[in-house]
Amino acid sequence: MSASLALDSLTKVFDGAVAPALDGVSLSVDAGECLAILGPSGSGKSSVLRAIAGLDAPTSGRILVDGADVAGVAPERRGMAMVFQRPLLFPHLSVLDNVAFAATVAGQPKREARADARQFLELVQLEGFGERPVTALSGGQEQRVAIARALAARPRVLLLDEPFSALDPELRTDMHALLRQICQQLNPTIVMVTHDRDEAAVVADRVALLSAGRLLQHDTVERLYTRPVALAVARLMGGRIELPGEVGNGVHRSALGAIAAPDGESWPEGPGMLVVRHEAVHVAPLESAVPDGMVAVEVVVADRRARGPRAEISLACGEAMLEAEVPASRPLVVGQRAITHIPRSACTVVPLDER
Amino acid sequence: MGHADRRGLAPAGARAVGPSTIVAIDSLTPGARAAGSRRWVSVALVAPAVAIAGFVVLGGIGMSLVQSLGLLPLVGVPSLSLDAYLANGDELLTGLGLSLGIATASTVLSCVIGLTAAVVITQGRITGRLVAALSALTIPVPHLIGAAAVGLLISDAGVLPRMLGIDGTDWPDLVGGPWWVAVVLEYTWKESAFVALVVAGVLASRVARYDETAALLGASRARRLRHVVIPLATPAVIVSAIIIFVYTFGSYEVAWLLGRPYPEPLPVLAFRLFDAISLTSRPEAAAVAVITTAVSLVVVALGMALLRRTPLWR
Repeated sequence: MSASLALDSLTKVFDGAVAPALDGVSLSVDAGECLAILGPSGSGKSSVLRAIAGLDAPTSGRILVDGADVAGVAPERRGMAMVFQRPLLFPHLSVLDNVAFAATVAGQPKREARADARQFLELVQLEGFGERPVTALSGGQEQRVAIARALAARPRVLLLDEPFSALDPELRTDMHALLRQICQQLNPTIVMVTHDRDEAAVVADRVALLSAGRLLQHDTVERLYTRPVALAVARLMGGRIELPGEVGNGVHRSALGAIAAPDGESWPEGPGMLVVRHEAVHVAPLESAVPDGMVAVEVVVADRRARGPRAEISLACGEAMLEAEVPASRPLVVGQRAITHIPRSACTVVPLDER
Repeated sequence: MGHADRRGLAPAGARAVGPSTIVAIDSLTPGARAAGSRRWVSVALVAPAVAIAGFVVLGGIGMSLVQSLGLLPLVGVPSLSLDAYLANGDELLTGLGLSLGIATASTVLSCVIGLTAAVVITQGRITGRLVAALSALTIPVPHLIGAAAVGLLISDAGVLPRMLGIDGTDWPDLVGGPWWVAVVLEYTWKESAFVALVVAGVLASRVARYDETAALLGASRARRLRHVVIPLATPAVIVSAIIIFVYTFGSYEVAWLLGRPYPEPLPVLAFRLFDAISLTSRPEAAAVAVITTAVSLVVVALGMALLRRTPLWR
């Protein structure tokens, strides 16, 4: 049932809008892959999904499902199913008939459609809920039914439009586990829109990062964090350390000193911004030895902010400023001197401007 | 207000306390007393309107009932009898059948056309906006004006046969004919606009997202209409149908203007008897009014029962 999906220079300009909502977005999703489209509000995430579903026609560009262009194909004939932020369960149907909806409208006998629907209710751990009216469900249960209903349609591509953003954190964790379990059992092709980096990291195989309608990077979650291709990517992924400098002979020189590119990688010569994840910065006592592959920098604690079990630390190194996270119990105080160890493999250089 | 009532309003924790401490509980529940007094204020504020409406509706029905049973004659001694109901037995039965027929036809046609118009309106295209504008323009036109317009348009000497170049003698008896076409047509024109706006209002707020969801589950336009749009519109259609049926069943002027002199629908019969010079006609008019009211109430009850059976209402 899974199909591959490709977007080719997808552009969407809404009537009366000056800037395009989508600006030449190209990416591909393999059959059975889970892609997360990540981006801030207004970045065009949902526009991509609506265009794929056929709910909005793109201004230009192509959408290919298993290599075939689906331009002009009505939403009901595209073989996509979509789960929205609101479950949108049909209020006049029972839970079971909601899940059986796709089979019913396809003309299957009611008994068969319901028997099939029961399997999908079991899949989302709601066996025994079939006869209930949809008004008798909690928010999490409603969204499970919405997922079961979408899966029961046997979509070639399952589209999820921020499906868990209205749920509380605990329920979201449950839903992420459910989605992973569904992926293992049914191996559907999934495109999920989210603004939550953690959700994308937990659920998706790869992530397409959008900003202002443009695709900034389409990569694995790990590479988006550790190998951003632009300053905007580093910032959108929550990166906090930016050190302007210049690359010469594969070595970046900044207020932090000289840092060579990791083995097997090369940085473009000229001005560049060194970016490092704050999670990679290790704060050690002054006299500690420097492990292999680490860059050691002497710093002074400039600020400390409590964040529950963790504390965020700002570290001054001359004019440069580093950020790090330490356990809340660690007695680092403002003004204290320390050594930071930064793995060379965690360093990346991106162009200075934000584009 | 008795003790039992006061305990019912007390906080949950106070319910575990035995009856011997009720006096103490009373002194501990100022919130309950405040809620009670607020309720009395609400009742007092609503009372004048309820009293006037009750006097008009119940008083009117009561007076008609009393008069129809011979207990309030214009002349003579009051005596309980069904004479007023039996005096025009045949006309009453014919009128009842005719009124039921006109009301049923008008209601069914209005609901079908109105629902179709509502679906067109909620599609949101130019046609939808045009239909919405036409419906909105229809609503303020009084039935009497509508009836006169329909008469001028489709009678055998009307605008339509003239425009089509058809001779009056070849034109079907739409006005004053045996099938009451003009009456049903006038009701349908006005009431379908009413259904269209009521149902479109209900659908507009919810149907678009459900429609998209259904489409993405593989439902064609026709299937979406059958499995999503019509079920979502059903409660609004039932409520509109109740209102239309009761209105067209009890309405006088359109049937009087566009119908034939005989047989008469119930409201026309009632008004003729009410206006007659015979002193015994007044109780007979009241009997027709009582039957009209009773049928209307039965239809409302049936409609509400039907409404309660719809999944959305539950």
